[in-house]
Amino acid sequence: MDGHDKPALEFDGLFKRFGDHVAVDHIDLKVPAGSFFGLVGPNGAGKTTALSMAVGLLRPDGGAVRIFGHDVWADPVAAKALIGVLPDGLALPDRLTGREILRYLGLLRGLPRDVVEQRADELLTVLELDDAETTAVVDYSTGMKKKITLATALLHSPRLLLLDEPFEAVDPVSAATIRKILQDFVAAGGSVIFSSHVMALIERLCDHLAVLAGGKVVASGALDDVRGAQSLDDAFVHIVGGRSDNAKGLSWLASLSRCGPRSRGGRRPARG
Amino acid sequence: MIGTLALVLFVTLLAVGTLLAGVKHYRYDGAGANVVATLCFGWLLGWVTGPLLIGDDSTLRMDYFKLLPIPARKLAYAMLGAAFADVSLAFSLIAFAALIGLGAQSGAAAALTGVAAVLLNLALAVVASQVATAVFGPVISSRRGRDFTAMLLALLITLLSLASSLVPFVAARLTDGHSPALADVVRILPSGWGAVAVDAASRADWGLTAASLGGLAALIAVLVLAWPPLLARRLTMSGRGSRRRARARQHAPHHGHVLPATPLGAVLGRELRLYSRSVLRSMLLMISFLVGVVVAIVLAVSGKMTGLPFSGLMFTLIAAACFTNCYGDDGTSLWLTLVVPGAARADVRGRVWAWFLVVAPAGLLLTLVLTAVSGQTWAWPWVLAAEPALVIGCAGLLALVGAWSVNGPAPDGGPSPARVLKTHLALVAIPVVVLFPAAALLIPGALAHSLLLRWLAVPVAIAWAGFLTWYSTQAAVRRLESHGPEIFTRVRSAAA
Repeated sequence: MDGHDKPALEFDGLFKRFGDHVAVDHIDLKVPAGSFFGLVGPNGAGKTTALSMAVGLLRPDGGAVRIFGHDVWADPVAAKALIGVLPDGLALPDRLTGREILRYLGLLRGLPRDVVEQRADELLTVLELDDAETTAVVDYSTGMKKKITLATALLHSPRLLLLDEPFEAVDPVSAATIRKILQDFVAAGGSVIFSSHVMALIERLCDHLAVLAGGKVVASGALDDVRGAQSLDDAFVHIVGGRSDNAKGLSWLASLSRCGPRSRGGRRPARG
Repeated sequence: MIGTLALVLFVTLLAVGTLLAGVKHYRYDGAGANVVATLCFGWLLGWVTGPLLIGDDSTLRMDYFKLLPIPARKLAYAMLGAAFADVSLAFSLIAFAALIGLGAQSGAAAALTGVAAVLLNLALAVVASQVATAVFGPVISSRRGRDFTAMLLALLITLLSLASSLVPFVAARLTDGHSPALADVVRILPSGWGAVAVDAASRADWGLTAASLGGLAALIAVLVLAWPPLLARRLTMSGRGSRRRARARQHAPHHGHVLPATPLGAVLGRELRLYSRSVLRSMLLMISFLVGVVVAIVLAVSGKMTGLPFSGLMFTLIAAACFTNCYGDDGTSLWLTLVVPGAARADVRGRVWAWFLVVAPAGLLLTLVLTAVSGQTWAWPWVLAAEPALVIGCAGLLALVGAWSVNGPAPDGGPSPARVLKTHLALVAIPVVVLFPAAALLIPGALAHSLLLRWLAVPVAIAWAGFLTWYSTQAAVRRLESHGPEIFTRVRSAAA
């Protein structure tokens, strides 16, 4: 089949600058087809910027993004047909109900009405949104909004899911549901790339990952190769160059009482 | 603080005004009862709708008591009792005292009947207010419900300000005895029963007095009995509607099926729903309607008919100018269109058709009806050239302007100065662009007294508008396809 031997996602010298700030600095990255791929990095590392360029929401200043070999910016129709997207913090037409949004998107993608209805039914049931049938999305909780956005990403059965922080603000029960859906999707041959701050989640779900810092890929590959013998948490701090002595600067924090008004008289509070 | 003082002063003036209306002597027999019945209707309406429109901010919130082990019935009556401890009752007491004033004009017995009517009216006000909150509270606690009540409040305030010019007219009809229908209506409503009782007592018609007061008492009793189950329903129900209703809706036929199962039909369905549900869109439509039509009608009532044929045009033009920021106003939800391959074309065309379907029927109907009613026959070629041209031409033009110039909201969430400026410019530019071929025939036609030239304007205007909307739609599609991410970046940075 078309593009099966190609990487699910490929960044080729991808570059984006906002004014003087280089947000994504010539990234080269290959996400193997069929992989569960984690994108990790500190705040401002360029994860959301890179993912936005990968799905056609932000035009790169240089380089290319390919999805199963199709260039997102030169051949957007072929590339976008293969992906499902869950962005972070973007609006939906929020006066519609969850079902209305799914129905709208399904028909917009050219699916037949009966297929749309059947898939919407299943997605709403599996994601436990069927009790909110008459609720407009504007009245959804943050977790419910994540779930309905995930449903929009899955509706047209894409081959690659690009998810920006899919587990943020999601309750543990819903998170387990989403995990199961994503694991089944990968088991059935789909590919998932998602960004997260939660290392435990990446360790549990992903077989591959890339670490972004300062707009660059500082490490990437199979999970075991990246973390080595240590936990992913430790490996991450090590890779992105976090200084473990950072906290020493706050030595006053443990002895706040010494600065209290009573200490001015020279009397030191009794200590443990 | 000043706002509260002003409100207290305003309500006090209203209450004293009501009281004086009861004390005043009227020439026509029964006019006093008509006036007091009307004013009592206003006060009771305030009690019933006030908490719904302003929001239920009572100090004792129902939710506090959800978890307490108190029998539902006991709690219900305790809550009802607590509702009587309300400062606003003092204002209503002054206002309803108009009933005593009305009775006192005819003697002690009628005045005493007035006292009973005041007490019953006060009880009815509190109980009806509580019941209304219990019935409608869950509905209005959702965002859609709040959107609706915000719209209703805005509409009410605007209509009241416009209707204030009609008050002398209504007052004259009520007091001169020439409009028995109006008087009957205000007396038949429960809010009028107190005034009817006092009026009957003044004529020593004790049967009607007893029936009216008894009716009020019975109504209060029915509401009190209905109250515990209503409260129980509210306490056990979330604001998002009951599950049973959700299930029922799930299998109901979907009205969206009227639209074709195509990408264009999908966008059309989304747009038509947003026109009825988005508070911004409904508000813009309402403003267009009120400014365009109600102003002309108020003028016409006072005899100035010349403007009437053109109020449909005003409505269409304002509705067009208000919707020149379609992509900016919809915010970051544009991402859904951008990640779907080839969706730009359906998105633009769906917006064009939706605006046309929402505005054109109302605009055309208003123009036809108001021109006919006004009797200004000279206006026909003018409005028949201009109105169809506006509804057809603007539909595409809006999408093009919206795709080329994207204004995000201001930091406070309201329209940004640039968006307001664009709306004002559009009010001037749209008629110039859409109507210049029509004007080029209508004006010389009027000067040369040529009927042919004036009627020729109709097909020419429609043909030009058709071309304009076709071309603008194509250009807007190209713009969205080539600059979608840039448009998205603009709305996103405004939203951030």
